[in-house]
Parts: sequence; C-alpha cells; structure tokens
Amino acid sequence: MTGLRVEGLTKSYGGVRAVDDATVTFQHGRINALIGPNGSGKTTFFNCVTGMVKPDAGTVTYHGRDITGRPAHKIAHAGIGRSFQLCRVFPRLTAVENLLAAVRPGSVLRALAPARRKSDVDRAMALLTRVGIEHLAEVEARDLSYGQQKLLELAGVLMAEPDTILLDEPAGGVNPALVERIGELVRSLNAEGRTFLIVEHNMDVVMSLSDHVVVFDRGRPIASGPPDAVRADPLVLAAYLGG
Amino acid sequence: MKAVGLVVLAAFLVAFPSLASDPFVLSVGVVIASYAVLATGWNFVGGFTGYISLGHAAYSGLGGYATGLLILRAGLNPWVALVVGALVVAVLAVPVGIAALRVRGASFVIVSIAVVLVLLLVFQSWGSVTGGSDGLRVPRPFDADVLRPEQHQRFFHLHAVLLGVMLLCWWVIDRSRFGMGLKAIREDEDKARSLGVPTVRYKLAAFVVSAFFTALGGGLYALWFGFLDPIFQFSILVGSNMVLMSLLGGVRSLFGPLVGAVVVGYATEFSKAQYGDTQLHLVAMGVLLAVVVLFLPDGIIPALRGLVARLRPGQASIREVTQEELVRR
Repeated sequence: MTGLRVEGLTKSYGGVRAVDDATVTFQHGRINALIGPNGSGKTTFFNCVTGMVKPDAGTVTYHGRDITGRPAHKIAHAGIGRSFQLCRVFPRLTAVENLLAAVRPGSVLRALAPARRKSDVDRAMALLTRVGIEHLAEVEARDLSYGQQKLLELAGVLMAEPDTILLDEPAGGVNPALVERIGELVRSLNAEGRTFLIVEHNMDVVMSLSDHVVVFDRGRPIASGPPDAVRADPLVLAAYLGG
Repeated sequence: MKAVGLVVLAAFLVAFPSLASDPFVLSVGVVIASYAVLATGWNFVGGFTGYISLGHAAYSGLGGYATGLLILRAGLNPWVALVVGALVVAVLAVPVGIAALRVRGASFVIVSIAVVLVLLLVFQSWGSVTGGSDGLRVPRPFDADVLRPEQHQRFFHLHAVLLGVMLLCWWVIDRSRFGMGLKAIREDEDKARSLGVPTVRYKLAAFVVSAFFTALGGGLYALWFGFLDPIFQFSILVGSNMVLMSLLGGVRSLFGPLVGAVVVGYATEFSKAQYGDTQLHLVAMGVLLAVVVLFLPDGIIPALRGLVARLRPGQASIREVTQEELVRR
C-alpha cells in the first residue's frame, strides 16, 4: 500500500505518554492536516515518524516498508522530509549552502567532489527561485528575516527530494501574505504529486489547504475525515475547538 | 590576492631557517610549526563539526609514542615508524570516536578529557613497554654528523611540508559535499540528520582524519625532540593549546589555526624566554582565551576579513540600491 501507515505508536517521556497507541494512515497524494491542542503529541508523533526519536512501541511503514526506529538520515533517504517547529536553518551557512547540505553524495569518492557542482547549484537556485528568495542566495541564513528563513527551510527540505513532507506549523509566526505564499507553494507541490502532513494551529489555513484532517488529543487520534466533517464532530469541538 | 599570499607564505617557510638569527630562534620556529600542525589537525574535527575536543593530546601523544616504540621495539625505519604509528592511532581512534561522538556539547568535552587522563595513567604505569614516568628516549632519525642547527632546519621544513599537506586536505574537504555535511552538523546536527546527512559516519570520518594528522604531528615532534614524558605528552594543556590557537585564528578559516599557533606560540616562547620558569605564560594564555571568547568569537581571520570588507567601496553603511534591486525585494 502507498502512503504512511502508523500503528500502535507509543512514546513516553518520564510518566507522560506523549504519543499513546496512535494508529493512523495518511494516503499518498493528499494534503493531510494534523491538529490538536498543545501537548497533544503532534510534534512527538513527527519525531517518531522521522526517526529523530525512537518510539517505545508500534510500527511505522512507508510505502509498505517498515521504517520504525531507523536512523533519521535513512528515513530521509526513503523519501520523508520535514520542517521543524519555529523553523531551523543552518545559521552560518549561506542560503544556497543550506540547500547544498541536503545533496546526497552517493559514494565515498563523490563525497569529496566539490559541493558547488554546477548541476547541484542550478537545482538549488531553481528551488530558491521557486520560494522567491533567489536574490539572497549568498546571504548567511542568520541574516535572513524569520519569514525568509521559513522559505529557506522549505527549499532545503525540497532539495532532499522527498515525496512526503512533514511541516510543523508552517504558518506559525509569519505575516498573512507569507502564509498565503506558503499555502500556494504547498498546493503546487501537492499538484506535482507530493504528499503533505501539516501540523498547524491556524484553522483558516487548515480548512483551506487540507484534504484530510486528523485530530490529536492526549497522544492519539480521536477523529479524522474531510475538513468540514471534522469541524462539525462533537468530540473535536469538545477537545479542541472549545465548543 | 590569495595566490600571492600563498606564494609569500611558502617563500617565508622555505627561507625562515636561513633568516633565523641563531639556533634558539630556529628551535622556536620548529615549536611554532609543530603547534600549527597540531592545531590544524585538531581543526579537522573542531572546525568542521563543532565538536570541541580538549583531549587531542591523546592523539599527538599516541603518535609520538607509537613512532618511538616502533623504532625501538620493532626496529622500523624512523619515517616508516612515523607513518605506521599514525595509521595505528587512526585505527585506535575508530572505537574511541564511536564512543565519544555519541554525546554532544559539554559531555563530549568531558569524554575527550577522560581519554587523555586514562592514557596518561596507562603510559605512566606500563613502564616495561612505555618507559613509564622515566620517559622514553626516541633515537634521532638523522646521522650523528648532522648537528643541532641543521636538525632544526630539516625539522622545520618537514613540519612545513606536513602542514602544507594538511592544509590542502582541509581545503579539499572544506569545499566538498562531505565538508558541507560536516558544517551542517556543526550548525544543527538534528536538522542535518533530517535532511539525510549520515551524521554518525561523517563525524567519525572527520574524527579519524583529525586523529591521524594530529598523530603525525606528535610523531614528528617526538623525532625532533627525542624524548617523551607521559606527563607532557598526555597533558590537558597541550589539548587546550590546540583549541585556543584554533579559536584565536578562526576555526572556520583554513589558515585560522596556523595564525593562532603563530600568535600563541610566539607569545608563549617569548614569555618563557623572558620570565624563565614562572607560570606567567599560562596566565597570559588564560587572559588571551577570555579576550578571544569575548571580543573575537569568530577569530582573528574573520575579524580582519570583516574589517577589509568594510573598507571596500560599495560596502559602506550607506548603500546605493538600484531600482531593480528595490523591486526584487
């Protein structure tokens, strides 16, 4: 089966079950949204799926392959990319270098080839152009504005050529015009066949962007379905939307 | 500009021994060249990955002892012993690296120090092999008719050649994909992992390369100095010196550790010569470290580069912006 399937995923920190026996399937080709109150386990769920932390129990399969607990870089190679909450870039690398860092060398010998190979730089510049910051290619990431860093992070994720992209609060802390731009980017990338999994608190973004919504509460999904149906679900209203 | 600088540097390195006024100055030159080799060796892991090893004396010390012991106990030719010794150290660095690189930040610093202290105890106690606290006399690689000044001169040039090879390797890695991955690790290791950088393998590779070159530096020093004492070979001070020199010059610059080694090495030798056996040079080093961390966090070279860039036309604070540039923003 295609897509991302998570079964019985559990992860505890101390006595807190951040993710508690979560079972959920994300079909390939969709824009999925993951919503839920703060502390409901969305980010821990992301971290388990992408190999940043090892789950205590449960399995993660991607396109039918078991990727549970595999090293993060292997999961990236399998085609799952991610952004981080509050945005993470390599501060003292330039924008274009931020992208070049995601190039896979392939072999030991090719790892010693110049990082600024023309074909790689061209691909990086094309992605920077796509997110609209190509004029900042040689500026260190720490000198970019927060919004520009968000765009840079997205371009960096794309450089690794994932077919599923996990975004942790893409609209957090950015101005409405940029939220709009990021939304358009997600839509066009999805039209090209990329699957998205988006954690987001901005309900307008969730409702307008996603095909499928999964609601988390206390570490597990409590509801899922099309945005309109989920919005009307009484369980969701009680847990999250505040009724 | 860069090419001219390199030619001047190379010319200076070739000519220094004949410019040196007396054998003492020449020997100080060798000491500084040795510092430069060790600091540049350290910078393969420190500069690229940001893992600050305070215990790199472990690898220079092991390199020195490996060279000496291979000559004395296995009867190897000194130069073969030097290279084989460094390879042995590189192999030993694999398990050490696997264990030490599991932890980051301050924990890694502590582990790196622990390694030196363990080695100090081993080399002090295992007298039958290492010579223990009495030290180990390393035979000179040159014939007896090669006198002191000539020895200094040859070793100065040997250090310069080794340094040249190391700088070339550092430069190649710096602009490579491997180097970009290492720098990504330095900037944000988890982010690098999420983008597909095989961080464990990359860190280990940099660590082993660093240990290999540092061991070569230690071995060359052993051949020159002719005597090894565990307390000086496996000393936290030697490791801290490598860190201080690299930070001072700039860990992200090719020539940073070299510049730092010249400044710190000259200052240390000067104060030793002026004030004899007082520990004043240690105080001076401490002050220097504080000054670097507070005022030149990126090191001398980036600071100078920034200064030059500010003085260049078009880089003034009042900028002229074309209409096209404004529109693109």
